[in-house]
Amino acid sequence: MIEAIEPLMAVLQSEAASSPAIEAPAAAALSVGIAAFAAGYAERGIGSAAMGAIAEDEDLFVNGLILTVLPETLVILALVVVFLV
Amino acid sequence: MSAAGGSNPEYVIARVRARRSALFGDEEYRKLVRMGPAEIARFMEESEYETEINALGSRFSGVDLIEYGLNRNMAKQFNDILDWADGRLYDLIARYLRKFDAWNVKTVIRGIYSDASRDEVETDLIRAGEFDDRLLSRLLDAAEIEEAIELLSGTMFADGLEAAYEDYEDTGVLVPLENAVDRAFYEQLLEGLVVGEETKQYREFLEAEIDFRNARNALRIARSGADLDPTDYFIEGGTLFRAAELASLATNTDELVSKVRDSRYGDRLSNALSDLEKADSLIGFERALDAALLEYADTLGYVFPLSVTPIISYILAKEREVDNIRAIARGREAGLDPDAIEEELVIQ
Repeated sequence: MIEAIEPLMAVLQSEAASSPAIEAPAAAALSVGIAAFAAGYAERGIGSAAMGAIAEDEDLFVNGLILTVLPETLVILALVVVFLV
Repeated sequence: MSAAGGSNPEYVIARVRARRSALFGDEEYRKLVRMGPAEIARFMEESEYETEINALGSRFSGVDLIEYGLNRNMAKQFNDILDWADGRLYDLIARYLRKFDAWNVKTVIRGIYSDASRDEVETDLIRAGEFDDRLLSRLLDAAEIEEAIELLSGTMFADGLEAAYEDYEDTGVLVPLENAVDRAFYEQLLEGLVVGEETKQYREFLEAEIDFRNARNALRIARSGADLDPTDYFIEGGTLFRAAELASLATNTDELVSKVRDSRYGDRLSNALSDLEKADSLIGFERALDAALLEYADTLGYVFPLSVTPIISYILAKEREVDNIRAIARGREAGLDPDAIEEELVIQ
């Protein structure tokens, strides 16, 4: 039984290897997009907390701004993938 | 602002943490207990309480000024929190702050009962709950208790008050009405509370609040020797007592104390409980209950930083601060010495 399937499996594997589900540039684009989405979600929470802190104490503006944009590094790191492929 | 939409714990908690760090600490209290009422008022003018003291300064003086300033500031702070909060968070905070609605209803009813003037009652209100200014001013205008109760229809107090009003008409004392208000408040605390991992702690805190209230009521009834049935004053929802056993416990203080000692609050209250057994003093025990609740709420704030608990912990700390400053001002006015006052304070 197994001997009968083996050639079929070999064919399937070689076919899968030759044509991936999505092309590399598309995958890279997807990774940047998802990273940007995640960064946006993280900034939502940090941003609203920063606004709360700034409303109480104006001096916290700089700290708030820095902390708010920190998740942006996620997108920059994801951008590296674009140059790797 | 409302119970619709998503909740925004990050924003509210950031603001609340900033406000919390502005509360008075050990050092300020040590200074305050050595001041006279006028000095305390000046001290408050230079702190968070500036606007309130300035606004009321022309109308009141001395301890009255401090007390009204404190009440007004507390109301403003808590109203701010309700203004900021949205969605589910609003619901969770409002549950606890309805305490002040209960306070306002009781104040209005007492005012009508004692024929106090509108202004007098108005200065005693703490506008921190959910009632808006329109409802409160209509309540203040009410000339009869029945009228006030009619105005409250549609609020959570309506059913209990209507039932209690008949009792009031029969007996002529306010106790049934006030009792109905308290019970309405405590029973809505846990009603329909959706318990997830985060709100589990909040529920435990609310249960502790109800348990402590029941223990306090039972002890007071036992101590006063009044011929009252403690089950009338029993509040549902706690985990420590059941209505039936409270009746027998209230007559036997030793048993009540050992019951509390064996409960999950035993460790926190052990010192206060032995004091209670020795000293026969209820005041010390009640203060220990307050301190235990505050300590409990304090630890709450750190386990789930983005839930309702840090906010509740701030609300309690603020309430305690207001109580402390009031105790200092009243104590100084009565001529107590600083050490005696310091012992009365609940400082975390």
